[in-house]
Amino acid sequence: MKRNIGTRTEIFDTTSNVAIKVTDLHKKFKLPTEQAFGLKQAIFNRLRGIKGYKEQKVLKGLDFEIKKGEFIGIVGRNGSGKSTLLKILAGIYHPEKGTIIVNGNLVPFIELGVGFNPELTGRENVYLNGALLGFSNEEMDKMYNDIWKFAELEQFQDQKLKNYSSGMQVRLAFSIAIRARGDILLLDEVLAVGDAAFQQKCNDYFASLHGNQTVILVTHSMENVTKFCDRAILIENGKITLEGNPKIVAKAYESLWD
Amino acid sequence: MNIPHIFNKRNRILLAELTKTDFKLRYQGSVLGYLWALLRPLMMFAILYIVFAKLLKFGSDIPHYPVYLLCGTTMWSFFTECTSQGIQAMVVRGDLIRKISFPKYIVVVSATLTAVINMLINVVVIIIFALINGVEFSFAWFLIIPAIFELYILSLGIALLLGSINVKYRDITSIWDVCIQALFYAVPIIYPISLIAESSIAAAKIILINPISQAIQDIRYLLITNETITTWDYVGEQNFFWKLLPIIITIAIFIIGALVFRKKSKFFAEEV
Repeated sequence: MKRNIGTRTEIFDTTSNVAIKVTDLHKKFKLPTEQAFGLKQAIFNRLRGIKGYKEQKVLKGLDFEIKKGEFIGIVGRNGSGKSTLLKILAGIYHPEKGTIIVNGNLVPFIELGVGFNPELTGRENVYLNGALLGFSNEEMDKMYNDIWKFAELEQFQDQKLKNYSSGMQVRLAFSIAIRARGDILLLDEVLAVGDAAFQQKCNDYFASLHGNQTVILVTHSMENVTKFCDRAILIENGKITLEGNPKIVAKAYESLWD
Repeated sequence: MNIPHIFNKRNRILLAELTKTDFKLRYQGSVLGYLWALLRPLMMFAILYIVFAKLLKFGSDIPHYPVYLLCGTTMWSFFTECTSQGIQAMVVRGDLIRKISFPKYIVVVSATLTAVINMLINVVVIIIFALINGVEFSFAWFLIIPAIFELYILSLGIALLLGSINVKYRDITSIWDVCIQALFYAVPIIYPISLIAESSIAAAKIILINPISQAIQDIRYLLITNETITTWDYVGEQNFFWKLLPIIITIAIFIIGALVFRKKSKFFAEEV
């Protein structure tokens, strides 16, 4: 069974101004047909010569390059392959074909609050989530108070997370996430959280990243694309159909429904 | 499995934090909390003691039989907990695997470390019981460390091997439950191995080639009484291959487990 021979390499080359280089990236998934789960079905399928899955090509040859310090927006409809791309860049999925070179330390936010556990207190969750983002306990100790302050949830620190509202959970998660320092940030649709006041804080945070950090943002919000991004990439059916000025890409994206 | 990964700071933090969480969550919401780590094996011991030592009169030829029995049940619980938790670890921690990129074996190791902590607490209890029972302290006690380590490596190997298959075929969890039931009777925990040797020496030898039996008997030999029949004394006369076979099996299972895990772990994020 030969599959997934693509490569993803991390390098730390300070002389190059390229942050990410993707060449001819392909990815397909094996989607189980009917009930191909479980040992019984797997054996049956093999005996009958049925594959038990159907292949779905999600990414069909992507090429692009991101320079250091660029704020890039990736847009596309649901199911166009954006999130798959992000997960491959983050090293969660393995590329099927093609090469990816990541230059620098990459911090992905595929989802906020990864590892949050409702049975643990806010404090315990902060440390757990911090560890998942790569922080040591000492580092967490230092920024602990700032995290709660930013989230505006100081008085709930020792409550179990299950007693938080979903908005509170997201705020806490966001406030930990923005502490992460990497050379490249991958953000998947994490902008829209909290009420208007918190939203403003988040926007300020993203504005502060602009120009200082390489950011790849996957979003459906054309407002954010035009506001923050230096460049945007439109993905349709696993291919890049347009790349360039955010305003033009945003227009093209909106016209997909016309 | 890249060795330097283990020493990587980020991975160490992650391992420590996940283990802490596992341990906290295990006894979350119970009144007695962590005390259950102690009470559960003690209660299992009490049942087995009443049934096998008192009613069926097993082990009258073995000195300190109650502690001998407790030692066996503790190590057995350690083995079952390690393997069951380890096999399911990837499924339980599926959300992490789907969302962040990190070496997947950390999830398995953290699940087994919780069992290690439980076992260590119980070893303290065994030692207290042993002293009360009149077992003399000896420096040979420290030699149980390599024997426990062997049992851990075996459990980890099984967890890695079956755990990586379990990601796709969840049947493994149920199959392993049955295997554990069968193995329980194939290891001399509740019955003394001498009982088997009376009717069939060959069967006793086969039982002792099982690495679990070998480790448990060695721990009993070192900790409780040197009247314990060990693999080293009983199997293979002058042939060292047979005497070392349990250790060879352990290492082989671990290596196969690690290799299979490494190969399959690339696709866990998609399959889990």
